Amino acid sequence: MFLAALKLINFRNYDRQELTFHPRLNIFTGLNAQGKTNLLEAVYCLAVSRSFRTNQESELLRFGSDFFYLEGNFQKKKECYQVGIGYRPPRRLQIKLNGKTLKRAEYLHRHPVVVFSPDDLLLVKEGPSIRRRFLDTEGSRLKPLYYRRLRDYYRALQQRNRILKEYRGSRSFDYSLLEPWDQALVKFGSTVMEERIKFLGALESRARSHFATLTAESESLSLRYLPTIKFNGDFELLESAFREQLTAGHSAELRRGTTLIGPHLDDFAVMINGCDVRKYGSQGQQRTVVLALKMGEVDLFNSAGDEQAILLLDDIFSEFDEERSNHLLQFLSCREGQSFLTTASPSWKHSQNCSGQSKIYTVYRGKIKID
Amino acid sequence: MSFPEPLQKLIDEFCRFPGIGPKTAQRLSFFLLSRPREEAVSLAKAVIEAKDKLRFCSQCGCLTEKDPCRYCSDPRREQKLFCVVQEPRDVLRLEQTGHYRGLYHVLHGALSPLDGLGPEELRLPQLLERLSQKEAGELILATNPNVEGDATAAYIARLVKPLNVKVTRIAFGLPVGGDLEYADDLTLSRALEGRREM
Repeated sequence: MFLAALKLINFRNYDRQELTFHPRLNIFTGLNAQGKTNLLEAVYCLAVSRSFRTNQESELLRFGSDFFYLEGNFQKKKECYQVGIGYRPPRRLQIKLNGKTLKRAEYLHRHPVVVFSPDDLLLVKEGPSIRRRFLDTEGSRLKPLYYRRLRDYYRALQQRNRILKEYRGSRSFDYSLLEPWDQALVKFGSTVMEERIKFLGALESRARSHFATLTAESESLSLRYLPTIKFNGDFELLESAFREQLTAGHSAELRRGTTLIGPHLDDFAVMINGCDVRKYGSQGQQRTVVLALKMGEVDLFNSAGDEQAILLLDDIFSEFDEERSNHLLQFLSCREGQSFLTTASPSWKHSQNCSGQSKIYTVYRGKIKID
Repeated sequence: MSFPEPLQKLIDEFCRFPGIGPKTAQRLSFFLLSRPREEAVSLAKAVIEAKDKLRFCSQCGCLTEKDPCRYCSDPRREQKLFCVVQEPRDVLRLEQTGHYRGLYHVLHGALSPLDGLGPEELRLPQLLERLSQKEAGELILATNPNVEGDATAAYIARLVKPLNVKVTRIAFGLPVGGDLEYADDLTLSRALEGRREM
């Protein structure tokens, strides 16, 4: 599947723009603040019906206008279909597929899209919550049922925490009050852990090979899930281990007034030759790891469905040296799916690597020109 | 734009109903005003009558005109079979099936600490009392199939354990007459979990 044509009206800094795309690689060059990322955002918004930068649709309106409209033609094997996304507040976002109105929930998972931006470097630099969010958003996109389990888990967790907070420090606490929520926490939490571990395993096997190629086989990448529940890796025993450790921690939880173990506190470690990259990796290694993870994620999407994911790379080459950039570029031109990338560097116009397989555009003040 | 005061008052009253916003409230009000006076009077009477004549049964907690209700006072119903539901309307729904012939117990909610609903708010002592008084043989837990409903069922199952009553949970699964193809993921996975040997 690929996006063949796009029309933008009053979207971000574009007043009116019509474009046709290459089925493989589309490169947008231009100075800063001309509208390169906005164009990626428009592609994402058309494919997914929301933005990857904001939850406020009103931010997508061009300054001073009261509506925006995106329209595009997707080509899927031999079949072609048209999507229109319109927004005119206070009405809700309208999604039309071949002229027929769809609900957002019906549309949301229709097109696999992976975004890669400099923010993704935070994945190996920052604290655990960003990695949990990565596992949860990517996991639930590949498996919608995972999202429901996760939601149930967090619901049970909130209920349980409310009890712990209310009776915090109480001496005559009736532990049977916690029991039903413990049950729910164990049941949903075990599923969440199992799905995350499986997802991480699948991602690892794909990211490993990219990492090996990137480092010329000299270093080996591994991902390890770090659960707060200790268990021996046998999913059959996970529920009973979870329950045991939860019960053992009851008095401590009552003292602290909150739930102290469970997948809501888990993390995963990214390791090179067995050493944690977050602590010991150099800047360069961290970047290579993120690159390998993202390419692994794209592979994962490709193997999950029969559709190739659309890949959006926002100014990512500024973060990489020449060798890594070349590797990424080769990955992009070899893959069957469509990619969009932005760069502020003018040297791209003369790049040898992607001739014939790509289209290059120049973005200047909200106008796009094909080179 | 402001409405004459009596009209505004009527609209405000309609606005309190679940699922009714200002626009619908206006529509309902204008409709009511366009009808003959008798209709308005009969509506008002119906509201007052329902409010005055209906109460919750002191035993099972369902909506009833007389106390105890017709389910609790019907000797032909199975006296040792109990069914726990969350809301009075669930009783009416189960009755419509004509399939259940035991007694009911309405909780008036489900456990939800976030909404301030703990075991004390749920008519549980009455349940225990009725179960032991009637020497119940089976208790069916028909709370809603969501996080709170499941937790409530788990809590009750544990609570009645000392009474040696058989506790069952209502089954979850595919809608009858439907196609497997159209079932959503969660329903389908719960139906798989609850499969039965044939």
